[in-house]
Amino acid sequence: MYPKPLTYKKAKTLDEAFSMLSQNDDARVIAGGQSIMPMLKLRIASPSLLVDIAPIRELHEIRLDGNNLTIGAMVTHREIIESSEIGKNLPMLQETARHIADVQIRNRGTIGGSICEADPSADYAPTLLALDAKVVLKSSREERTVDLDDFIVGPFEVNINQGEILTSVIIPVNRSPYSVVKYARRSADFAVASMAAIVEKKPDGTITDIRVAVGAQSDRPLRMKELESLLKGQKPQKKDLYLEVDKAVEHLDPIDDIHGSAEYRKEVTANILKTNLGSLIFGGI
Amino acid sequence: MVENRHISITVNGERKEADVEPRMLLVHFLREIAGSTGTHVGCDTTNCGACTVLLDGRAVKSCTILAVQADRRKITTIEGLSKEPGKMHPVQKSFVDNHGLQCGYCTSGMIISAYWLLKHKKNVSEQEIREAISGNLCRCTGYDNIIMSIKDAEKRMEEEGDTLEEEQAVTVRK
Ligand SMILES: Cc1cc2nc3c(=O)[nH]c(=O)nc-3n(C[C@H](O)[C@H](O)[C@H](O)COP(=O)(O)OP(=O)(O)OC[C@H]3O[C@@H](n4cnc5c(N)ncnc54)[C@H](O)[C@@H]3O)c2cc1C
Ligand code: FES
Ligand code: FES
Repeated sequence: MYPKPLTYKKAKTLDEAFSMLSQNDDARVIAGGQSIMPMLKLRIASPSLLVDIAPIRELHEIRLDGNNLTIGAMVTHREIIESSEIGKNLPMLQETARHIADVQIRNRGTIGGSICEADPSADYAPTLLALDAKVVLKSSREERTVDLDDFIVGPFEVNINQGEILTSVIIPVNRSPYSVVKYARRSADFAVASMAAIVEKKPDGTITDIRVAVGAQSDRPLRMKELESLLKGQKPQKKDLYLEVDKAVEHLDPIDDIHGSAEYRKEVTANILKTNLGSLIFGGI
Repeated sequence: MVENRHISITVNGERKEADVEPRMLLVHFLREIAGSTGTHVGCDTTNCGACTVLLDGRAVKSCTILAVQADRRKITTIEGLSKEPGKMHPVQKSFVDNHGLQCGYCTSGMIISAYWLLKHKKNVSEQEIREAISGNLCRCTGYDNIIMSIKDAEKRMEEEGDTLEEEQAVTVRK
């Protein structure tokens, strides 16, 4: 199906994009188009103006500044998989990108687009939450940096103003032991359940840092802060972890749909946490 | 009133120009203006991959790109794989010889995805083949013969000296 009639403009610079976005109240950014195009075709979205930000050079940068890796909003899933800078400094992000959709979608879809789309089942968010990522937003008037956790509001909803563009994601370098798990029935599907976890521990097994986030289990991806604080500083036994996981999963409220019932999603999440978070905690002791 | 835009897309080496509505999908430009009807529309929802083409050397779903986004870029469709008129590309030939298609609806997209894989990797494993075509659905074959065809295509391309290819750098374009 065709989108509703619309005007299309290519922005070569951020300033050009800001001025284009200010021309129409319902103007929308198009990045890789892998989420917005399907919505335009279904006419769930029908902006009168699309501003293509692909030509803006600075949005394609991947840059190491001290202890942070800054990834431009227009960097594609494929470029994340292939970047040696990301491989060295954020292997967890690279592994996450490998599980997104399929070859064709990874060739076009961008990290900025995925974050702004805020699909509760998308893959980057749990990883980026575990990594304590921030996003940089710019408009003609101001620039602000926001924790990703505060940027995500709910399903398909983020804390962005009309006329603002997400320009980059800032991620503290992290080479700690991690686990990224996506469970889907078919490899190109969205997750039925997903988890991203980082665990640092002393040689005796005491947990010194633990960060766990889950996707597809609520109206937005979630950091499991309570579970983290129960386990941090501890040397848990398997039965302690299992008990706490079962309790934590009770609080989740996943969607019930054709990809999986709410009960099923919770069950899968509990199993992923026990198995994969478990092997981070108990492995190598 | 939305104004038409004048665009020029190089399809299989030939420049195709037209005034189009900005909302026109690339797949419709290819089929209706460039006449490359080998590119199919299956699901129209970014799932099936029947519309897969190469955009500046990268496999993409042409139902999920506006024609205006491809202005001044290069597209390769199934019709453009073979270098010699009337002769099939080794990937096409191996699909025919290995029964890699039944109704043929998915085939052009499947072959473009296979071609893209074989132009990027050597000694591909079955796992890599399955991963490479995970964005292409086939309702007929059950995939086994497609996978066989792709394995065979790799051998044939090697024999014909059809080697790995550099993509053009396209991410940034003024
Ligand atoms: C069949 C299918 C399967 C998929 N499977 C998965 C999957 O398994 N896992 C997964 O994580 N994702 C999946 N996706 C989504 C995919 O990853 C998209 O590429 C991504 O969500 C959007 O990125 P984009 O660059 O294409 O954004 P676009 O579609 O261009 O934009 C998405 C939204 O964000 C806004 N936007 C984009 N960039 C910016 C910016 N820089 N600043 C402000 N606003 C912006 C747009 O206005 C729009 O509202 C799938 C998509 C499809 C169609
Ligand atoms: S028609 Fe484009 S993906 Fe199905
Ligand atoms: S051959 Fe019929 S859909 Fe693949």
